[in-house]
Amino acid sequence: MNVISVKNLTVSYHKKPAIKGINLEIDSGSVIGIVGPNGAGKSTLLKGILGLLPFDSGEIKIFGKDIDKSRKRISYIPQREQFDWDFPINVHDVVMMGRYAHLPMIGFPKAKDREIVDQALQKVEMLKYASRQIRNLSGGQQQRIFLARSLAQESDIYFLDEPFVGVDAKTEKAIFNLMKELKDEGKTILVVHHDLGKVLEYFDKLILINQTLIAYGNTKDVFTAEMINKTYGGRLTILQRTEELVGQ
Amino acid sequence: MEVIYKYIIEPVQYEFIQRALVASITIGISCGLIGTYIMLRRMSLIGDALAHAVLPGVVISFMIAGKGELSLFIGAVIAGIVTSLLIGFVNRNSKIKEDTSIGIIFTGAFALGVLLVSQLKQVHIDLSSYLFGDVLGVSTGDIILSMIIMFVILTCIILFYKQLLLTSFDPTMAMTIGISVTIVHYLLMSLLSMSIVAGLQSVGVVLLVAMLITPPATAYLLTTSLKKILVLSSVLGVAASVIGLYMSYHFNFSSGASIVLVAVFFFMLAFVFSPKEGLLTRFLRRREASKAVIMEDIIKLAYKFQTVLAKEELVEKISGELGFRASKIESLISRLVEVGLVSSSDGKYELSETGKKEALRLIRIHRLWETYITKEKVTDIEHIHPEAEKIEHLLTEELADELDEELGFPEKDPHGSDIPRKK
Repeated sequence: MNVISVKNLTVSYHKKPAIKGINLEIDSGSVIGIVGPNGAGKSTLLKGILGLLPFDSGEIKIFGKDIDKSRKRISYIPQREQFDWDFPINVHDVVMMGRYAHLPMIGFPKAKDREIVDQALQKVEMLKYASRQIRNLSGGQQQRIFLARSLAQESDIYFLDEPFVGVDAKTEKAIFNLMKELKDEGKTILVVHHDLGKVLEYFDKLILINQTLIAYGNTKDVFTAEMINKTYGGRLTILQRTEELVGQ
Repeated sequence: MEVIYKYIIEPVQYEFIQRALVASITIGISCGLIGTYIMLRRMSLIGDALAHAVLPGVVISFMIAGKGELSLFIGAVIAGIVTSLLIGFVNRNSKIKEDTSIGIIFTGAFALGVLLVSQLKQVHIDLSSYLFGDVLGVSTGDIILSMIIMFVILTCIILFYKQLLLTSFDPTMAMTIGISVTIVHYLLMSLLSMSIVAGLQSVGVVLLVAMLITPPATAYLLTTSLKKILVLSSVLGVAASVIGLYMSYHFNFSSGASIVLVAVFFFMLAFVFSPKEGLLTRFLRRREASKAVIMEDIIKLAYKFQTVLAKEELVEKISGELGFRASKIESLISRLVEVGLVSSSDGKYELSETGKKEALRLIRIHRLWETYITKEKVTDIEHIHPEAEKIEHLLTEELADELDEELGFPEKDPHGSDIPRKK
């Protein structure tokens, strides 16, 4: 089943295009890696699909509908660095945020929501830390509570931005197992990833991107020396540099 | 008792003191609640800016509608929102960063307000009470206004607790689930403008930001959950307002200055004595930690020497080995005796059973750590901890177990000594 459809998506930052003319059709039940060098527009693509950034042109459909009509079915795990870890909040309350998507505008969490939160924490082996302040967690534990929050959201599509950065082996395994489990339940998982090391192991499909879409397909077909070279090909093309000049 | 009556109870019979008390309490609560979000969202500068920028709003509404609580309220809220819109507009449409655009807009607005006040003929405005507050001069209308404001703020914070929390902690997620960060921002700006209107009466424009951020910052040092910070910051806001009010009454101090100084005094107390993060607490904790390190070293050495030694002999050997005064070692050993790790009998010290277990635990961690840094060729240990030999005292049992597993449960350390196995 087609879950995400992206047509001719172009998103700019400060008038410079970060991604250009991206076309994608994504089916359910797979783990998809978004791979490319720094500044290739990986996070921009993710945020563009999520409707977090205004785009210059293009059309995005999620479950055949506008993003605003599908918000309950998606969840997003941002990069860990962007949080204020001194924020006065404990683990349980962070995971409860996952339930906010399902609560009415004015309404408080019910016993059932707390149950779902506990189950999510159990799944990432963080239940015993439920009342701990987030500032007193290790990097891997921090990543795991965001996974739990995403699980508590009970979505159909999961967007993960660099979840493997700076985590311990235990967390890496936990993330990997969860991705597999979710996939087996027919969910779709998109993961921004910049390290080429475990690409074959992690992802069924791969989106190779460097401003434009270089390749999209099954990992074993796409993850070739030629394609990698094309994606990480080092220098900007003359065309890109000219565009930059014109953009100023 | 008599003193309490004379200085605290007696003044309450005056109606203006009653009004001032009610105003202080409502203002303390309003500012304490809104200020908590202002602090968490790092918007202190905006709080200060809006406080100054309501002045022209107030003056213009007086010019149009005449002097009155309602025109004060409407003028201030409109000025607050227009100012925050303008700041955002300048920010988005130029390369000027936010702090600079805040500085430009609010000083401009404030200057406009001062200019208008000096030109105002038909209504007399006492500028100094706007600038520095005059809690002893509040009217009944002012009190009703600030009670309504407190009620509105309290209601909004309860009803929109989720939205305020999520947009403060993780605005990106808020957007992905369809909560409008912009709407919540302007809701907060409206509530902020209202709390400023209330606060104007007690502390005035210039010092208002202190009422917004000092009590929440104090509460933040003392407790950990958002709900507790909201409550404690309101309590501190009320306490500072009421104490400041009495100071203003008895000593004829400016009410704004008194209230703010009391709030800052509370902050300093929390900064030094907070049980979690206070300067004093951290100092004591560090001292205690370094004592714990020496005690652990003593246990290891006592285990190494094994034999039952005369007290003086053991103390001397250990102090020679560790390089601390014998008297210090002696007092630490008596603490080990107190907790039952060392037993003391007729002039001799001996490790107790639990003491021996503890020694083995420490030796295990020490040798595992040495094996690890040798194997992994960790060279920049100073990067992990300035005093490399202290790391082993910081390793938890859990981490040591993981280390053990990763090293494949080694039998011997790099020096060839046995690594005690965990039982």
